[in-house]
Amino acid sequence: MPEAAIATSGLTKDFGSGRGLFGLDLEVRQGEVFGFLGPNGAGKSTTMRLLLDLIRPTAGSARVLGLDSVSDSLAIRRRIGFLPGDLALYPKLTGRVALDYLARLRGGVDSRIRDSLAQRFDADLDRPIHELSTGNRQKLGLIQAFMHEPELLILDEPIAGLDPLVQQSFHALLGEVSAEGRTVFLSSHTLSEVERVTQRLAILRQGRVVVVDSLENLRKVAVQRLEIEFAGPVAAHEFEVLAGVTGATAEGRTVIVSFAGSADAVVKTAAAHEVLAIRPHEEDLEDIFLRYYRVEADA
Amino acid sequence: MSWPTLEMTLRLRVLSTVSGALGLIAVLLAVGALFPSVGHTIGTLNIPKGVSNLLGGADYATLTGWYTSEIGSVYGPLVIAALAITGASATTAGEEEDRILGLLLAHPVKRSRLVAGKAAAIAFVVVIIAIATWAGLIAGVAIAGGGISLAHITAFALQLAFFGFATGALAIALGAGTGRRALTAGVAAGVVIAGWLINGFAPLVSAIAWLKYLSVFYYYAGHDPLANGVDIGGLIVLGAVAVLLTALGMVGIERRDLRA
Repeated sequence: MPEAAIATSGLTKDFGSGRGLFGLDLEVRQGEVFGFLGPNGAGKSTTMRLLLDLIRPTAGSARVLGLDSVSDSLAIRRRIGFLPGDLALYPKLTGRVALDYLARLRGGVDSRIRDSLAQRFDADLDRPIHELSTGNRQKLGLIQAFMHEPELLILDEPIAGLDPLVQQSFHALLGEVSAEGRTVFLSSHTLSEVERVTQRLAILRQGRVVVVDSLENLRKVAVQRLEIEFAGPVAAHEFEVLAGVTGATAEGRTVIVSFAGSADAVVKTAAAHEVLAIRPHEEDLEDIFLRYYRVEADA
Repeated sequence: MSWPTLEMTLRLRVLSTVSGALGLIAVLLAVGALFPSVGHTIGTLNIPKGVSNLLGGADYATLTGWYTSEIGSVYGPLVIAALAITGASATTAGEEEDRILGLLLAHPVKRSRLVAGKAAAIAFVVVIIAIATWAGLIAGVAIAGGGISLAHITAFALQLAFFGFATGALAIALGAGTGRRALTAGVAAGVVIAGWLINGFAPLVSAIAWLKYLSVFYYYAGHDPLANGVDIGGLIVLGAVAVLLTALGMVGIERRDLRA
């Protein structure tokens, strides 16, 4: 079995007052696109900064591409591309000059790759960075992260500020990178951004991992929802008392019922009234995400 | 040392450096042009000893004393320290607070090598200002009718450059060691100003006269280079301080978490 692209063991960074990252055990396999999800302040950026040795762990350790994140940091950084959240670059320089400098810090990169990425993202490399919109600055960030064709990409909120067309180009690029056997570790606080591209994901909350699983498995445990339209008003309470039902809301003549397991009891209860329409609602990733949050918050 | 970082840091500082150099040359020329008309008058003024010491304790009636008080004691070190300190704090702590350093250090470059490149760029800025001082002094002295030898002008520019190395290195050490821009600029400027005051006033009170040895100004101008030529001992101390502080900055940044 090939070595994991990222493997952390009890990785901890304690900033005090309950802030930081606590006991992270995570394995990102080579060649996968792994989503790292959580709200702002959950510890996503802290994890990435630990992997890059920008900050050092309070406890635990991390291996990146088989190397120790602290003692072998220089060798690791040769082989990865990083996009920081809230990217900042020298505001008075043009994108081209800034990218040239970053390329030289790597000992040079093939300018054809840089130019092809710029074309792909429709990036303007010749305007001063302070004149660029957030999205256009983010394009520069993506170019610098990808331009040396790294084995592992660590991307903190990569989609922030990108317009839908560029998002599409970015998703396509991730697909190509993954197909080449390279690994992508990307974070987001909104699941819809990564739903299309990640194979597995971890959900982080208050510095701790809540769940690590494949999207497929997460969907399996998802609750189902039915939107039932009746001929007249029906009380939500009729459904709330049923076994397996996790929630029901009534609005006018429509009731939305969330439930786990068989739909039998719900359908039979609905059948006691005149039903005009039944519309299934597949739970999307956002619902799964929020549910993990609620579960944790209630615990 | 990271050469790309040296070049980039210089590129970012070229405008302020050239402006500072041109301004300094203009002042040196003006001071030279003024001397023939005011030198004899100002030489007769009875200036308190403390103030005179702050201004280099020089004889204003001579061109050497005139330049020492006007440029050597205040304007020259002010310009070179200001450019060295603002440059060094911006390129270290400033870039860290602006979140640029985090991106740079995600690249395969050692933190210490990055800081060394930045320190070298600030040293280069200092050299440019020192060369401008040297050229401006030569021209200013010529305008004033001559009276200071090329060797002494060169010695003065050399002492000023080493003063700039030491103050810049102080800001490099603070900036790289703490990552806090305001603290870096504030403490470094405070140390320079305190050094100026100590060097001026400490010799007036014999009990604390020894304090002057703690001032970078003493090693820069205590020997009065425009009048007496180069002070090798002063250069050695300032050079050693610069090297030591730069090394401290390089070690300091390796041992801590980046702040942003």
